[in-house]
Amino acid sequence: MRAYATMARLSMRTTFAYRQAYALGTAASCLGLVASLALWSALLSGGAQLGGFTLTEMKGYMLVTFATNWLGNAVGEWSLANRIRDGQVAIDLVRPIATQRLMFAQVAGGFPVEVLIIGGAAAGFVLLAGPVPAPQRPLLLSVSLLLVIPLRFGIGFLTALVVFWTENFHGVAWARNAVSQLLSGSLVPLALMPQWLQVTAAVLPFASLTSSPALIYLGKVDTAGALGLVGLQIFWTVAIWFGAQLAFRGASRQVTVHGG
Amino acid sequence: MALLEAENLTKTFRRPEKDPGLKGSFKHLIQRRFTTMTAVDRVSLSIEAGEAVAYVGPNGAGKSTTIKLLTGIVEPTSGEVRVGGIVPHRNRIANSRQIGVLFGQRTQLWWDLPVRESLALLRDMYDLTPDQYRRRLQRFEEVLGLDELLPVLARKLSLGQRMRADLACALLHDPKIVYLDEPTIGLDIAVKDRVREFLRQLKAEGTTIILTTHDLGDIEDTCERIVIIDGGRIIYDGSLAQVKDEYARERRVHLQLAEDLPLDVLALRFPQALVTAGETHREFTVAFDKADLTAGAILAGVAQTAEILEVRIDEPAIEDVVRKVYAGELTLSETAS
Repeated sequence: MRAYATMARLSMRTTFAYRQAYALGTAASCLGLVASLALWSALLSGGAQLGGFTLTEMKGYMLVTFATNWLGNAVGEWSLANRIRDGQVAIDLVRPIATQRLMFAQVAGGFPVEVLIIGGAAAGFVLLAGPVPAPQRPLLLSVSLLLVIPLRFGIGFLTALVVFWTENFHGVAWARNAVSQLLSGSLVPLALMPQWLQVTAAVLPFASLTSSPALIYLGKVDTAGALGLVGLQIFWTVAIWFGAQLAFRGASRQVTVHGG
Repeated sequence: MALLEAENLTKTFRRPEKDPGLKGSFKHLIQRRFTTMTAVDRVSLSIEAGEAVAYVGPNGAGKSTTIKLLTGIVEPTSGEVRVGGIVPHRNRIANSRQIGVLFGQRTQLWWDLPVRESLALLRDMYDLTPDQYRRRLQRFEEVLGLDELLPVLARKLSLGQRMRADLACALLHDPKIVYLDEPTIGLDIAVKDRVREFLRQLKAEGTTIILTTHDLGDIEDTCERIVIIDGGRIIYDGSLAQVKDEYARERRVHLQLAEDLPLDVLALRFPQALVTAGETHREFTVAFDKADLTAGAILAGVAQTAEILEVRIDEPAIEDVVRKVYAGELTLSETAS
């Protein structure tokens, strides 16, 4: 157990060591935030509504999207995929640890830096764009936001495992990102999408990444609905964690021997 | 029972059979053909606690794959392996506590962390007490000069420094058995010597060592047993001294004389040996089988005809034997033990 805590601590230190890189990443994602603010302000000017969202609500939605895009993402699945691709994972296999848990500890170590970035950006956003709705059901919202971390990790880990077969991560990550962006509701709220896409999103885990915490934040669901969304998040987190465990067991049999 | 027992270990891989170029790749998409490669072919090994075994063979012979099978990284296609009673690929975690592994071509340090932090992480993985940890670090300072590397980021280490730090990583938990896959690859002479000295000490402390290398200098002072593998099969398994004794019997005496001497004179004097002329008429090389002649007899014989100024005697190295085996010039007769 101690090793996982140490890993998280070291990973946190590493993220602070790379503060320039994070500053750059934050600047880029803030730019995205400003762009979507401009877009939605134009679309929803004069008290217009789209899919039941007012401009003020949409601002709140944007903030949640920003937050959930950062949560569990500071360390990034690339470092996991690279470990598999360059064979470093072979070394994990001769250590008395579970690779998946160790990698999760690494991802979890990014949490403090993520909180800093999200907090800073949120403050700037409110100063720039004016008030956003106060969060409804803050406790459920916090749980929902925290669940994004293990869920995003599970999805990322599962995607990275594909590298065992493809030996390349680019294509896999791009495809997954395209699907995830659309079906998580981080591009536009799911309510604005055609019915068939909404149905697709409902049966896939991606909506639990962004749409669920955003709907809880805005009070678009009642308490029962919010509990249902969190329950679904828990279901996906657990299911994907164990699914990834099985996949890892299968995949590590696939370890091919590069270089004799 | 031996510490490590492997029986008929076999590993086969499927390799896609593609014609060259884009066309070949497309064709492969539709009509998939594979060739089966046997990387390791019915390898049986039995290694006792405290033994130091050199595992050598040409590139692609299956050395690294064998190590991956023995450590449990790769599952065998068929055959059995047990290390300290544990089947490595079925019980990875229990196995990992008793083994240390070094892949010379790959670091186990975390790239973005100082060496000290990588070691601290390993300390926690292996549940070492602070006291055990301190004693191990002290030991590594003595034999590897580790202290100066502790604050350095792994990515800033030179290759030689990295190998020293990696050795510390592999041995931090005081494993019963150590697999070293090319521990001196790419190192300069000074660092090589240091690593070799470390291996000797490790052996003296009773650690079981399995060492693969292309640099046979690594094994001469460390290992008393040599296993030679080629094409995935063990072609020799026996004592290093015996290999040298049986297959490295040729000696060469290089002579520099005070005066010119015709080649024939020496050639006639030593009919069992092969005498060749050197660069000048005063230099000769006498090659002989140590069963037929001795260096002393050569010197005594030459001294009767000419004054000897300089003498150099070449002892064959295990390297020469192995090189001949690789080149197919020498077939080792029996597999001992």
